[in-house]
Amino acid sequence: MASISKAEKAYVQSSLLSNPPLRADGRGLIDFRTIALESGIAPIANGSARVSIGTNAQDGGGGTEVVAAAKLEVESVGDGEGVDGGRVVCSVSCSPTAYPLLSPNALDDLQHDMTSVLNATLSHPTIRPKNLCILPGRKSWLLNLDVIVFSDAGNIFDAIFMAARAALWDTKVPRTKSVQYRAKKSDRSDATQAMDMDVDETAHVGSALDTRQTIEVADFELPDYWDEGEPLNGRQAWPVCLTLNLLPALHFLDATLQEEASVPLKLLVFYSFLSDATPLLRGMRLLGTGVSDLVQVNSLLKDGEKYARNVWLALEGKLKDEDLRRNQKARERFLNR
Amino acid sequence: MAQSANDRRRINGPEESFTPVFDDEDEDIKLKMQRSRAPGDIRPIFLQPGLISQANGSAYIETEKTKIACAVYGPRQSKTTTYSEKGRLNVEVKFTPFSCTRRRAPMRDAEDRSIGVSIHQAIVSSIRLELFPKSTIDVFITIIENDGIEGCIASGSLAASTALADAGIEMLGLVASCSAAIVGDVIQLDPSEAEARASSGTVILACMPALNSITSLWQSGQMTTSMSLKCMEQCHERCIDIHSIVAQSLLEHRRTD
Repeated sequence: MASISKAEKAYVQSSLLSNPPLRADGRGLIDFRTIALESGIAPIANGSARVSIGTNAQDGGGGTEVVAAAKLEVESVGDGEGVDGGRVVCSVSCSPTAYPLLSPNALDDLQHDMTSVLNATLSHPTIRPKNLCILPGRKSWLLNLDVIVFSDAGNIFDAIFMAARAALWDTKVPRTKSVQYRAKKSDRSDATQAMDMDVDETAHVGSALDTRQTIEVADFELPDYWDEGEPLNGRQAWPVCLTLNLLPALHFLDATLQEEASVPLKLLVFYSFLSDATPLLRGMRLLGTGVSDLVQVNSLLKDGEKYARNVWLALEGKLKDEDLRRNQKARERFLNR
Repeated sequence: MAQSANDRRRINGPEESFTPVFDDEDEDIKLKMQRSRAPGDIRPIFLQPGLISQANGSAYIETEKTKIACAVYGPRQSKTTTYSEKGRLNVEVKFTPFSCTRRRAPMRDAEDRSIGVSIHQAIVSSIRLELFPKSTIDVFITIIENDGIEGCIASGSLAASTALADAGIEMLGLVASCSAAIVGDVIQLDPSEAEARASSGTVILACMPALNSITSLWQSGQMTTSMSLKCMEQCHERCIDIHSIVAQSLLEHRRTD
């Protein structure tokens, strides 16, 4: 978003194109800055995470900082936008402090563009978690994933998708139990008569006069249980984003704001690497005013897949660490008090 | 982006609307799903430049049930006072309220902008904006009938590029655009809304066939890298045919003028 002068732009470009390539912070072309991630930062949300890229080790400032949080709400299927089987809705909002130079209108447009990229990738029906359904055809969970950009020091899309993946990984769907109501039967024993509400596991003893074929599940309840629920089904599948910044002859990763402003084109690729399966491309966007061609895209996708796998593996390791830290280790600490 | 207050100047319809449910709906869907053309064929394109006389350039495009009108105004002076060395391209997309199965309120909503952004991305690198300092080129796109977002973006880019050429704005090349959907393991080019909904992933590619360069790539859903590349190749091939349609229609329009 930084607007830089022509001279500055030429300086950044020529140093990137020089041999060996030079970057202001001394990184190689495919090196990332340090990435920090913490999950479970919003206790009220069903899942949350904070990601920062390139934060100073000394004072903890000056990097890209993004927070994502997932919140579940119950939605009726059929009226309004509710879909059988639940849905995921994403939004990105940018704090004005992240983009002090933008007018409110331009900021709106920017966060809208980010939202549409995130939404198109994460709300696609092919990636929808299976356990967002509460009562088939009646009620389902609506998963709202809100991402807030606190500061942008370049490479915002990678940060947004990393935070989104971590928050969704962390999300717990509350357990639900279907409940049905049944009229009291006069011919049954006192014990069952006292119960006017039955959980649907109990076998239904129908009277001969009962013409109804099936008894509809009427409602659901939230059983009181020690944990917050179960993780989203298929949480491994949420993709990571990789931004390839393209200069005509080369590409580089994790651009700073100055570098972003001096490249004409970037390619976003969204990958997920499930074990024992071929890598899946879950989205792709070409952004900017430059042009590319099929041969270049072909080689970019090959390289992009390689880099994205590294990002994926690093993130996977960190997420497992976080799970351990927040569950097992926290429990042990509690026991050894 | 949706405005909260209603527009008083319009007769505002009910807040929500529902499509009628017909008994034979299931059969209807099945019929729609059956594709009458081969997987590699696209819907026939009707393209007519210069239908809107007050605009500097315009185009109307129809591909079966997708109908889009596009008008180009400019280059004209930017309204903002700040100096800009390059021209600005402004793309605005509007759906007519009757364009979809469910009524669309006549207010700008989220989808309008994302389609606008995609079309902007497809055509911006074809225009020589460095020739128009301090000025703006406005592209207004009206979607009269909508049959899938993919079709809208592809046809919209095509119409916009034609209208820009019709307006006599200097470009590096005409932009052609084509979409593809993966249904099962078959690549179907130019999917309709029903086909796109049944697919596991879609690709929209915009390119300048004359220069053999890609201006926009837009993929959603899931697919393997090789499948995605195959889609892009097929789209690119088809774009060469589409390019000749655009060139032909522009040529005929100039002759009749």
